[in-house]
Order: sequence, then C-alpha cells, then structure tokens
Amino acid sequence: MRALVIDDSRAMRRIVGSILKSFGYEVREAGDGQQALDALHAGKAEGWVPDLCCIDWNMPVMDGLQFVMATRANPDFRQVTLMMVTTESETGQIVKALAAGAHEYLIKPFTADAMRDKLALLGLLPEEVSA
Amino acid sequence: MTLQEAPPITALLDPATVQSIADEIWPTLVGDGEAFVPVPVAPPAEVVSAWVTISGPWNGAVVLTCAPATAEALAESVLMTRPPTVVDDEDVADALGELANVLGGNIKSVLPGPSSLGLPQIGSAPTTGRLDDVCRVNGQWRGQSLTITVQGATEALHPSGTEVPQ
Repeated sequence: MRALVIDDSRAMRRIVGSILKSFGYEVREAGDGQQALDALHAGKAEGWVPDLCCIDWNMPVMDGLQFVMATRANPDFRQVTLMMVTTESETGQIVKALAAGAHEYLIKPFTADAMRDKLALLGLLPEEVSA
Repeated sequence: MTLQEAPPITALLDPATVQSIADEIWPTLVGDGEAFVPVPVAPPAEVVSAWVTISGPWNGAVVLTCAPATAEALAESVLMTRPPTVVDDEDVADALGELANVLGGNIKSVLPGPSSLGLPQIGSAPTTGRLDDVCRVNGQWRGQSLTITVQGATEALHPSGTEVPQ
C-alpha cells in the first residue's frame, strides 16, 4: 500500500506517516496541495500512484479542499482514496469535503486506532494488520 | 456581524471547555500519558507564543504560550525524538504551531459558525483587547508553565508573528 501525506506541519506529516508505516504503508509527503499534485504527477510518471492521500485542510498555496477537487477532476487519479485529516470539524465543512470527492474524514487529534478504523472501513488496511 | 457586535468569548466559552479540549489533545498529540494540568505555576521570564486566528461570528485567536525551553520539550515530545536526535528551531515552531492549530480547530468547533481558521503563527502573542473577551487557562506541562488563551481580536491581531515556516 502507498500513501501520500499532505500537511503543512512537518510534525503532523511525521505523526501520520509513522502511523501509516506501522500499518505497512510506503509513505511520501507533501507540504501543501500544489506540492501534492506535483507529487501525484511525478509519481505517475515513475509508476508510483498512492492508494491513499491523507489531506490537511488549512494549508498555504493550495488548501486541502482545492486539492480534493483538482484530484477528482483528473481521471488519472480516480482510484486514489482521499481522506481529510484535519482540525476542521464543522458539519458544513465535512459535507463540503465529502461533496467535493473526499471519501473519509478524520478529525485531529486522533489516535492510531482511529486511523486504523477508518482504513478498515475504506478497505485499505493490509490483511496482516487487520488480522 | 461587526467586531463591536460580536459576543465576548466569555459568553461563548468557559475555561472548563478549553481544559476538556486540551485533555483530549495532549495524550494524542503530545504523547501517551501526557497532560496539560490546569494548575498554574510561576510564569517564565521569557516566553514564546504560537497562535491561530478564528474568523466568523466571533473573531479572535487561540494562543499557546510557554517558555522557549518548554516549547523545545513539547516539540521533542510531539515529534517523538530521542537523543542523539535534536530538534531545530523550525521543528519547535512547527510543533508548537501545530499544537495551537489543533487547539484552535477544536475550540472553533464549539463557537458559533461558520468560521475559518488561519494558518499557525509564532512569535510574541497578539495583544489582548477587552477584558471580557479573554478566556485563559493557566496551567503546566511537566511542571513548566503553559497558558492557553482564547482572545478577541483587536485592530491588529497578529502584529509581530511570522507564519510557521514550511
């Protein structure tokens, strides 16, 4: 499994990345939505398309919602699962993200178990971890 | 709604709610078994603050303030660094900023909405305005002073901060 962790906080990228690595994921990082789009295109060119993107909402340059819309608009990345991982917890924002094409929503702070539950719901938990 | 018409934070939020939010954040972000304890200790001579702004029916900022050494220890805890790895200034700014960001996002969720959250900033805390538009919890982490302040906007909400470097 491959994941792209998109967050402007290095600390949060490290935290999310280490949880995903503990589940067996190969992880790459991006510091904002534009960097993430660039990483998706560069990854596709080398045959590295993530199964999952974990996306913060509030980021400079391009925010998480804009990234979701841009990714959903590109048929090359239709199979990528998009999960918002953010402090934004107002119902209206959750609805907006899901309507834009995000598949799941995880509110910070979260535990590794909460991340595991979300991945299990999405069918993105490797068998050896879910067993 | 204008700044003058907005209800003060003390009408919207109490210290117990701020504490309950911190109770949820500390173990998950700072580390297992870690807690923000709402028992004040002597404030440090030198402080650093990280904050995020909230813009909506209520306008203001959520500010986390502590000594530079405490900020460094918080960063080490958030980043789970162990010697000989050391955190640098950017790590400290990033980790303190993310703590303020998560605090701010969760505090925003209990305020009237819709609201938007600004990006984390670090530096000298914004000045406070009306006394009744400040909700402050003075506490400690690992015995060191730490303050969470939810404060209403003044004309210049972030006069001396810099955006946390990416």
